[in-house]
Amino acid sequence: MSRTAIFSRVRPSRVIASVVALLIAAIWVFPVYWMLSSSLLPNVVLTSTRPRFVPWGGSWDNYLSVLSGGSFLRALAISLQVTLIAVAVSLIFAFLAALAISRFKFRGRKSFVLAVLFIQMLPAEGLFIAQYKMMSTAGLLNTVIAVSVLYIAAVVPFTIWMLRGFVAGIPAELEESAKVDGCSSVSAFFRITFPLLAPGLVASGVYAFLQGWNEFTIALVILPRQDMRTLPLWLRSFIQASQARETDWGQVMAASTLVALPVIIFFLIVQGRLTSGLVAGAVKG
Amino acid sequence: MRGKIAALALGVASALVLSGCVASPQTPSGQDTGPQDITFWLIGNDTPQSLRDYLVGQYKQVNGGTLTIEEQTWGDIVTRLTTMLPDSANTPDVTEIGNTQSPTFTNVGAFADITDMYSQLGGDKLLQSFVEVGKVEGRNYTLPYYFGSRYMFYRKDVWAAAGLTAPPKTLAEFNQSVVALTEQNPKAIADFSGFFLGGQDWRNGVSWIFANGGELAKKGANGQWTSTLSDPATVKGLTQLQELQLKASKAPSTAKDQSPWLYINDSDSITDTAGAVTGSTTLAAGTIMAPGWAHWSIGDLTKNDAGRDVRQWNDDTFGVFALPGNDGKPAPVFAGGSNIGISAASKHQAGSRELLTIIFSDTYQKMLGEQGLGPANKDHMSTLGTDQFAQALIDSASNSKLTPAAPGWASVEASNRLEEFFQKVADGADITKLAKEYDDFITPMLNKK
Amino acid sequence: MRTHHDAATLSAVRPAVKRRTRFAPYALILPAVVVLIVAMGYPLAWQIWASMMKFGLAQQFGQPPQFVGLENYISMFTTATTWGVVARSLTFCLVNAVLTMAIGIGLALLMNAVGKAVRLVLQICLLLAWAMPVVAVVTVWIWLFDWRRGVVNSVLTELGLHFTNHNWLGSALGLYFVATVIVVWMSVPFVAFAVYAGLTQVSEEVMEAASLDGASALRRFTSIIVPMVRPVLMIVGLLQIIWDLRVFTQIRMLQDAQTPLDSDLLGTYIYRLGVGSSDFSMASALSVFVLVITILFSIAYVLSLVKEDS
Repeated sequence: MSRTAIFSRVRPSRVIASVVALLIAAIWVFPVYWMLSSSLLPNVVLTSTRPRFVPWGGSWDNYLSVLSGGSFLRALAISLQVTLIAVAVSLIFAFLAALAISRFKFRGRKSFVLAVLFIQMLPAEGLFIAQYKMMSTAGLLNTVIAVSVLYIAAVVPFTIWMLRGFVAGIPAELEESAKVDGCSSVSAFFRITFPLLAPGLVASGVYAFLQGWNEFTIALVILPRQDMRTLPLWLRSFIQASQARETDWGQVMAASTLVALPVIIFFLIVQGRLTSGLVAGAVKG
Repeated sequence: MRGKIAALALGVASALVLSGCVASPQTPSGQDTGPQDITFWLIGNDTPQSLRDYLVGQYKQVNGGTLTIEEQTWGDIVTRLTTMLPDSANTPDVTEIGNTQSPTFTNVGAFADITDMYSQLGGDKLLQSFVEVGKVEGRNYTLPYYFGSRYMFYRKDVWAAAGLTAPPKTLAEFNQSVVALTEQNPKAIADFSGFFLGGQDWRNGVSWIFANGGELAKKGANGQWTSTLSDPATVKGLTQLQELQLKASKAPSTAKDQSPWLYINDSDSITDTAGAVTGSTTLAAGTIMAPGWAHWSIGDLTKNDAGRDVRQWNDDTFGVFALPGNDGKPAPVFAGGSNIGISAASKHQAGSRELLTIIFSDTYQKMLGEQGLGPANKDHMSTLGTDQFAQALIDSASNSKLTPAAPGWASVEASNRLEEFFQKVADGADITKLAKEYDDFITPMLNKK
Repeated sequence: MRTHHDAATLSAVRPAVKRRTRFAPYALILPAVVVLIVAMGYPLAWQIWASMMKFGLAQQFGQPPQFVGLENYISMFTTATTWGVVARSLTFCLVNAVLTMAIGIGLALLMNAVGKAVRLVLQICLLLAWAMPVVAVVTVWIWLFDWRRGVVNSVLTELGLHFTNHNWLGSALGLYFVATVIVVWMSVPFVAFAVYAGLTQVSEEVMEAASLDGASALRRFTSIIVPMVRPVLMIVGLLQIIWDLRVFTQIRMLQDAQTPLDSDLLGTYIYRLGVGSSDFSMASALSVFVLVITILFSIAYVLSLVKEDS
């Protein structure tokens, strides 16, 4: 155990906790399993009354049909561009702002903090006309940059607050003492503050990534051209095309799996960062 | 950099348009000649690729410009039309539009006046109910693109087991038969519906109103629309519908018209790899009402050449008929399908008009029919073919109707009031009282632009 | 002037920092401020402007909008439907936010309480759930709850309960139940990970020192862990309130499947007015009202956040 668990000395309770944890894990993963399992089955099996829990007689047919158009890869590329720009830029902007509000007192600070909090309370469903007019007037329809800017604005408020919590959670004394030990401000920041911030950066980054990956309304309005579709637009038009006739659930589930896959891969990479003993290790090192 | 400035200029231009300069009358477009690159929006994937290829090739030949076809989805078309149709820098030049959305957009001036082309494109041979929803003050703005209509699918085996003759000859006979079928439930199935009809499914339910001479709304002499749910003829239709809902249909009262064919199939034969039966029957309905293409999803469960499970239509078990009216002729049912129009903000009016000429040409109308899409021009109805599905489509369409051409009709549909009303009817509400209440909700919406 | 007072306090602590960095905070917040003004400023201004106009589809297509002052607001406030939607939304929001936070915090503590292998399994399962695209999530759940072919009914019936052909989406309450299951299922992983990330900040040294000082597990939890995680809890909690108050996609997709009477929440109602009825001025007025409600609903929360912050 690299981390001190608060219940670490109570063995029986840990057994119970483990059982509960596994049970919860099973409940949480079931819909995901159901999506995967269904994506392997033909539609007529899926629409029968009794559910089939194990995909006996499954095949990759659904995936082959979904991928055959080639539109998936195009949408994947757009989604990756939009999302990665949004994540990178919003993390940088938010970190700078978080530093300002947690390390400095300045005139207008409170207004800034409140504005940041309130701006994210505006419902998005009524904004589409204004967003369209703005981007159309600027000649930025169908551009990655237009969507990225709107996504950055959508996630930056939360990211500022999330990071602020982490920056504030790092005692300034730590940096001070590092400086006393002979580190420069910059190196004190990179050796002390940044590693402590890592889980916050990862958590906010994951949040920003998911928001960008899943966002639908803005993309619908700002990216009307077919070859500029993001994955949610692609998935939705796929589902709707399917629903126009009989919904092919197997194909819909296969398409959903394909959209989820890059996120899952991203998560599994980041997962180590979120959960390893990085923080404790870094502080020690 | 130059591109940026150009883009900015376009942006400014579009801002001017947005701020109100679009209302200027369209210049007659006969003069501006030469190739024009235009964009055409199709909604959904009903138009097959071969037809799209034909349009692109033919447009190139006639105009010399490039036709780009973009596919939109039904679920989000209103958002797209609302933002892009007024924006001359980004508008599609020609677009398909749902026939219930057409009055709303036509009334606000979204489409170019094509009255001068009307007779050349087919004139009175075009489906008049569709022409009507594209007309404002006698001028034509949108025209029919294709139609489809709904007819009945039924289980021959179940009807026979209940000793009922099919198909029924009149609406009254149909109503009695499906109630009797439900009561007898010859296969002893839990929650069996002689006729499966979702409570909120007003698009199918409205057939009973139409069949009894009722209407959803009427236009008065003063040009104002009035909701007519409480008219005696409408109430008569609703009373029949309520009886069916209470005595023949076990569909949820909140269900709409999604996938009713799932309930008419057997699925006894679903087995796991060991051969053990894992699926019980899904048969739950003796009769359903659905668009014609549903027959691809109805039938016995078999494996195709690739070893995949598919449904195979079986004439011994399944049959189709058009819903009969009181007089024995097909009842008026709600017509599905769409209209087509030229964006008023389009800078390529000449090219767009050439595209319309291609679409309404005999060749293209025939191509639509051969693909099972009801052609806009009645002269080409026979191209649909002669099989039972084509026959049922032609029969049911012969008398089909559309929703009212009121400017606020899209608002009425969006408000969910009709779904509410039909659900309450299905749940057994006092129709006369309820109809008055909903007339009061709907009438103001009908006239709102 | 509190800011002056704060600045004075701070300068007493770190005079050197203050002198060197007089303009630093402004430089630091500049990028965020610019992006927010560019992306949100115009839409917000447009929305307030449109809420005082008559602005429908005809105006969108070029007719000059007409100024009507507060007429839209008056008609909104005098419509019974509005208040029904508001009441339902607030209730839905409260139930969902509380459930999500409670379960999320519980799972974060659980992660801390179990061995590495079990924790990894739990975390990966949560990650998988979290990674699902919203459209896919709702599609799967609608299907699990399907009245005729759904797994939920099938399993409950196997357990001996009478759930054959039970129609979950047949009433507004049923629809909200399913929506709550979906929203909680989707949001819990985020809360659990955010809180868990906060927990990891509690360094081993501090915990060991406290332990050596003889602090009990409970005391270590309340006096070390909670204060450390509090900022995260606060902001994540606020976010749940904001999200759950304007929940849209889940409700809309469930309504696409079946629409029981009176099942609109604020998000879907705005959508119905705007996209559906092309009544953009009413949609805007309602949006502004939602902004106000959210602020009112979370004001206590926000004030304590801000207070804690200074």
